Amino acid sequence: MTAVGKNWIWFVAIMALVLALGAYLGNSRRADLGKSFDYSLDEYRVVDPALMGYAEEEPLVPSITNITSLAIAEDGTIHVGGENAVQTLPDLHTIALEATPTSLALDADRVLFVGLRDHVLEIAKDGTRKAWDSPGEKTYLSSIAADDWYVYVADAGNRRIWRHSKLKDGPPLEIGEKDWANDVRGFYIPSPMFDLAISRTDGSFWAVNPGYHALENYRPDGMPLSTWEASGMTIDGFSGCCNPSHFALLPDGAFVTAEKGLPRVKVHNVDGSLRCVVAAPNQFDDTVKGLDVAVGADGTIFVLDPNRNQVRVFKEIQ
Amino acid sequence: MKPTENKRRRDFTRGALALLVGGAALSAARSRSPKLVWQIDPEQCSRCGRCATHCVLAPSAVKCFHSYSICGYCDLCGGYLRPDAKGRNTGAENQLCPTAAIKRTFIENPYYQYTIEEDLCVGCGICVEGCSVFGNGSMYLQVKHDLCVNCNECAIARACPSDAFKRIPASEAYLLKSDQEKRIG
Repeated sequence: MTAVGKNWIWFVAIMALVLALGAYLGNSRRADLGKSFDYSLDEYRVVDPALMGYAEEEPLVPSITNITSLAIAEDGTIHVGGENAVQTLPDLHTIALEATPTSLALDADRVLFVGLRDHVLEIAKDGTRKAWDSPGEKTYLSSIAADDWYVYVADAGNRRIWRHSKLKDGPPLEIGEKDWANDVRGFYIPSPMFDLAISRTDGSFWAVNPGYHALENYRPDGMPLSTWEASGMTIDGFSGCCNPSHFALLPDGAFVTAEKGLPRVKVHNVDGSLRCVVAAPNQFDDTVKGLDVAVGADGTIFVLDPNRNQVRVFKEIQ
Repeated sequence: MKPTENKRRRDFTRGALALLVGGAALSAARSRSPKLVWQIDPEQCSRCGRCATHCVLAPSAVKCFHSYSICGYCDLCGGYLRPDAKGRNTGAENQLCPTAAIKRTFIENPYYQYTIEEDLCVGCGICVEGCSVFGNGSMYLQVKHDLCVNCNECAIARACPSDAFKRIPASEAYLLKSDQEKRIG
């Protein structure tokens, strides 16, 4: 072989080596992240079957989309708020609105109170409408409850509950301002999830204090009566920064609670202890938020599932 | 001068002129088109962790950003505390961030502020995952342009499973959540 031929062989070999090294360096990456970088909630998604106290039945499917809120009339008619409308189930009667409701309630006279983000729209049984004044700029009305005397409106933006009297006109009573002398610690609302419900027995009302993972009981004048709280990822607590996101009261006074982040629906006894699980996290999409809950007169639990655009129905296992 | 020499000279002058005009036009067009940089669309990011492993820089030019206007200043912060944390404190065993890149500061009862220590952040997005699942999504990933070398073909963009990497004008080099979202809405 000539000297020129040998040089060419060396040249080709060196070039091949350089190219191979370049390809190796180009494709090599740092090692995969270790176990400490794993984020998994799998162990919390499965619930002990012995804790399951309810079985799911066929869901109710509204024809409106983007469903956000749920309320039940005394006669059992289910009302669902969604894309610029409220719809009754199962007859699918639709009431058109100017915006999508953020909250919904009915009183015994079937007056419908619709929270439209910053104000309440009152719709009487005959269809006449009355828009209430907005409480303020930051208002976000996340829940409404009404009895024979008052309409309570939870305002997540201002961290207040506004109590409107049905019997006399005037500005609403402001509930929730910090008042250490009377043991009022104020509402801690990290996200716009702030629910309330009126007690079925004594006219007091319960409100979630989600940042504390607490349910708090107040007299109608805003004075605190009692509270219980349960933080934790385990099934007997409330997970995440701000839960329960929604709740309702069972006929016996127990609480039906719904959570976001780790979506689950449970029943807690009046003292806060866990009674049973209604729906486990693996029964919902991971990303679901806004599981509004309502309870029928017979104890049937209705759960609004925005991801599936359904009202899911759960009956107690006998 | 011979006629053939004249023709050659004319051809050369024409060619040189065309080259000059073309070059000038190209240069003008390039200077008018905006400089583009890589950025992550926080709405599309799936927090897969590849920003930490695929950047040509080590540690990655991707860092966690924190939008204080979206943050709930929670005590039980999903971005700071591990899901199985035994306590709500700064104990290493309770912290979600494996590099301890988040600083927790007490503000007033019950509020805490969370600050990202950029030097320690590797852009893994584990805090972003925790904050998105349980919180308001105030933590999110962005390419830091004082660190990024702006490769023509970004290695992370090539590996990104959710097409969250975008070329955006350098004049608006960040896709900040606080501009896109309000706290309530």
